[in-house]
Amino acid sequence: MKRFYRYLSPLLILALLLGSVSVAAAPVPTSDLVTTQAALSAERPDADRERIQEILSRADVQEQLIAQGVDLDEVDARVAALSDDEARQMAEQLEQLPAGASVVGALLFVFVVLLVTDILGLTNVFPFTR
Amino acid sequence: MTTRRFRQLLNARFAGVLLSAVSMMLAGCATTPQLADATEASLPMRAQIDGVPFHAQREYQCGPASLAMVLNSQGVDVTVDTLIPQVFIPDREGSVQPEMLATTRRHGVIPYVLNNTFDALLTEIAAGHPVVVMQNLSLPAWPMWHYAVAIGYDREAEEMILHSGEEAERIESFRRFDATWTRSDRWAFVALPPGQLPEAIGAYQALDAIASYEQVQGPQAALPAWEALVSRFPTSAMGHFALGNARHVLGDRDGAIEAFRVAVRHDDKLAVAWLNMGLSLQHRGDAEEAHHALSRAAKIPGQWQAKAREALKEH
Repeated sequence: MKRFYRYLSPLLILALLLGSVSVAAAPVPTSDLVTTQAALSAERPDADRERIQEILSRADVQEQLIAQGVDLDEVDARVAALSDDEARQMAEQLEQLPAGASVVGALLFVFVVLLVTDILGLTNVFPFTR
Repeated sequence: MTTRRFRQLLNARFAGVLLSAVSMMLAGCATTPQLADATEASLPMRAQIDGVPFHAQREYQCGPASLAMVLNSQGVDVTVDTLIPQVFIPDREGSVQPEMLATTRRHGVIPYVLNNTFDALLTEIAAGHPVVVMQNLSLPAWPMWHYAVAIGYDREAEEMILHSGEEAERIESFRRFDATWTRSDRWAFVALPPGQLPEAIGAYQALDAIASYEQVQGPQAALPAWEALVSRFPTSAMGHFALGNARHVLGDRDGAIEAFRVAVRHDDKLAVAWLNMGLSLQHRGDAEEAHHALSRAAKIPGQWQAKAREALKEH
């Protein structure tokens, strides 16, 4: 599986690079004006480096999502809908990002502490404490 | 290691554990959240949004369920089953914040992340906008992350009303709600169709949200949002600039030039607006005016100077 990803990632990067090149080269008569997105990201330093970084991030996110069980058919559209900042955030810290609906470890100690905090109104783990 | 040193170490560790436990409790000991005076005065005592459909979550899928509720409330016809493969990450058994926003965008609606205050949350509810909130229902050490949709509040009873988990119109005290919400740094967003803006949003946040939406859905879809932005924030030069760009791509050259003109009227240091105005004027054949605009752009140091000089040379 690891090996599979080793081959997959350069392919994804290539695909995304080609994708973005073809967009840039498309014969839109308006391409010479500066876009809003470019103007906004240019307000940050190192805009060019960030642009490359962003393409790499998207490939990275795609790979991570596939590794975490996301459907291959869906992954393209999911990554495309991310803003540049979100793509970067996902690439850098997907593991640490909180995911809605994790499960609490079932230790007795934890159970008792959470029961107490629930009763104190600090948490909301057990429906029956309300 | 001598016994004494060992004991010291033990004491130090015990003190550390105690200290962190106490500070954890203190951090969690939220009192009833206080509103700013201005909000206090203007906000209705209670509000509840009718017609937000409820979808009970299955397994760990509070993300897709919450998303379906807000999207449906904005007239987007989408089911939880459609959203699951679009936003849920199987191995994480959950959905992450950036993808909650991205998926909202895919369905033609603009996600606006609110600033992290209780004021903003209640203000949006009072304006009739359901709010997706992220909570940690447990303690920071054993997180239990959860998305819910806030649809109402009662300031007298100090209660929130939420579509949450398997319970519609769940009532949660302000105190308990805020204790669990604070653990996500009070993360919340509203989802609105282009043309509507949240009540509690700044020009820059709105600009960022709409630009991200435009990148996914294109200028035609984003145009009403830009129009709404400049009518709410008439002095936002960047807003007029963005409106000009959208008009330009859609073929409305005169409208674009007009918008760029308003942009530089509000901020004559916005080189990129001078530049785009100059280029559009060049296309239209207004040589003299184009020269003036491009010269202004070329005089402002920064990113766009080179491009402006180049355009002047072609001139």
